[in-house]
Amino acid sequence: MTARVIVIGAGPAGLTAARELARQGLSPVVFERGSIVGGLARTETYRGFHFDMGGHRFFTKVEEVQKLWREVLGEEFLRRPRLSRIYYRGHFFKYPLKPLDALAGLGAREAAHVIGSYLWWQVFPHEREETFEEWVTNRFGRRLFEVFFKSYTEKVWGIPCSTLRAEWAAQRIKDLSLRSAIVGMFLKPQTTVKTLIEEFDYPRLGPGMMWRSVAEEIRKLDGSVRLDSEVIELRRSGRRVESVVVSTDGVEEVVAAAHVLSSMPVRALIERLSPPAPPPVVEAARRLAYRDFLTVCLIVDAPALFPDNWIYVHAPEVKVGRIQNFKNWSPDMVPDPGKTSLGLEYFCHEGDALWRMSDAELIRLGTEELERIGLIRGASVLDGCVFRVPKAYPVYDPEYRQSLATIRAFMDDLENLQTIGRNGLHRYDNQDHAMVTGLLAVRNLTHGEHHDLWEVNTDPEYHEAVGVEAPAAAALAAMEGRIAEIFPRIDGVALGASAGAVSGVLLALATLILVLKGGAVIGPHLGLLGQFFPGYDVTARGSLLGLVYGFAAGFVGGWGFAALRNITLLLSFAVLRRRAQLGLLKRLFEFI
Amino acid sequence: MARTERELEAVVLVRAIRLNAVVAGLVTGLMAGLALFIATNWLVLKGGSVVGPHLVLLNQFFIGYRMTFLGSLIGFAWAFAVGFVAGFAVVRIYNLLVDLRSPRRTGRA
Repeated sequence: MTARVIVIGAGPAGLTAARELARQGLSPVVFERGSIVGGLARTETYRGFHFDMGGHRFFTKVEEVQKLWREVLGEEFLRRPRLSRIYYRGHFFKYPLKPLDALAGLGAREAAHVIGSYLWWQVFPHEREETFEEWVTNRFGRRLFEVFFKSYTEKVWGIPCSTLRAEWAAQRIKDLSLRSAIVGMFLKPQTTVKTLIEEFDYPRLGPGMMWRSVAEEIRKLDGSVRLDSEVIELRRSGRRVESVVVSTDGVEEVVAAAHVLSSMPVRALIERLSPPAPPPVVEAARRLAYRDFLTVCLIVDAPALFPDNWIYVHAPEVKVGRIQNFKNWSPDMVPDPGKTSLGLEYFCHEGDALWRMSDAELIRLGTEELERIGLIRGASVLDGCVFRVPKAYPVYDPEYRQSLATIRAFMDDLENLQTIGRNGLHRYDNQDHAMVTGLLAVRNLTHGEHHDLWEVNTDPEYHEAVGVEAPAAAALAAMEGRIAEIFPRIDGVALGASAGAVSGVLLALATLILVLKGGAVIGPHLGLLGQFFPGYDVTARGSLLGLVYGFAAGFVGGWGFAALRNITLLLSFAVLRRRAQLGLLKRLFEFI
Repeated sequence: MARTERELEAVVLVRAIRLNAVVAGLVTGLMAGLALFIATNWLVLKGGSVVGPHLVLLNQFFIGYRMTFLGSLIGFAWAFAVGFVAGFAVVRIYNLLVDLRSPRRTGRA
């Protein structure tokens, strides 16, 4: 039995890794539990309609990923305009949030409440930002958090915002970080961010088109992609995984492993190790939580319903969280131009009441909620289907970090097993970052490099390793010095001392000049300074006192000027930072 | 607040600015010269039995200065010179003190 490189999971991370391995002649074998490729970025089909599980815009700052996408699909990419709105209290709010639109939609009383709450929390913020609720409240105020953030975030995650970790939000906005936003104001126009907001690339037939092409390429390069094949056991000996047991249609097969790249949920991976991992590791894996979702796909008898690509549904009176209009992602997602296909995303937990509802019940629920929102007025739902997506989101609950540390400590000791992808690393990464973990895992394997895959998307050096464009790496590295140059301080003591010295000398000189000139009444007007400087007069002795008084007055003036100037600069920086921060937060739901 | 945001704050107003003494001298000189030029001509245009009895006292220091248009030009020259020297001196001393106080963190801005 020849040992091969085994890749578990045919999602973006697994297929990217397998493609790279195949291109290097290593003939990997990919085992995918499902019947189609793409993982969380798959495209399901029903009666010729294509349904993207989640809505995947193709945007990346990683050059190698961009290159791969172009190599695989080339002209099959469409550049699509983007429109999305938030539905709340019977009103559609523009997204990204526009302050005037939001306040107009809320009404005068609520708007006043929002503004008052915002000001209050600016003055009296939470001292510690440990939860998502505290994180948003400190930036937007309590009321706006309750109106725009609470209901949707809790729909998505199924846990109160008061228990969701703040670092989740901080990590998710890292790609469009505050640093980048501020640097962008000085170094270059924010064309990248603008592009992401207004338009995006999308495969003509959805993201599944990409992954079907990659799987085909792997097969052509002597690799293998086996569908409906679940890895149910990983047999290890010492620090190595020697083989995996694969179940295909109930038939089990043992496959020898030279190396294993696993994108299956890390909890499942730990549970399938044989002999089992130590009890604390198994226990830690069991503590990892996931959020699942299901998409109710409806085919509507109307050529067009609304202009959005998707709508965020914050309204708590309906269960649906997000509505995708696939025809607006790509016209080719729909086989009949007279029809529209919608995807209603319900976030749930595997096995809960929503998950267990029959497809017919879910289609009925979806139709009712669409009518309630008013999106299919005058149109009829012709058909529908339901797709369930388990373990779509790793949950950042209060325990996850500690659990993950325990698991990492154990996994790092296994020399031929690497975990990759969103679920393999239990990180809420996007498609492109999942791909990066696959690429770097292959480099660890074939080039003996030592990339810490758990840290991808948090450490700039990994971005550099795969060629992230300048703003993310080089510009950010130089940014601190740049900001320091843009916002320097005036040294108050130095300016005070220098202004004091000069004004003291000037006053002393002026006094001495008048003394030397002499006259009946010497310097009657300059002598009036004695009103403010006790003891000062226009005499030789007075010139010495004038030196001291001039220094003191000049010092206060110089120091005061420097202090005022520095405070003004600090305020202008604070305003700039707040503007950049609000710009990012207006788009927060991009990352949920 | 995120760690990166705190780091960003930490670099603001840290580096002490160094100033250009000649520019500071020119600016101060021009400001002082123009102020005296305008003030003198303002009083000249207003006229009266005694024109600018207090401002004219500057001729104790500025030789040739008087409350006429020609005097305003002479005043401009004097005030410019004194302003230049004062501005130049303040900045030179300031830069010297900045270098003494934080020699490794400074940079010309």
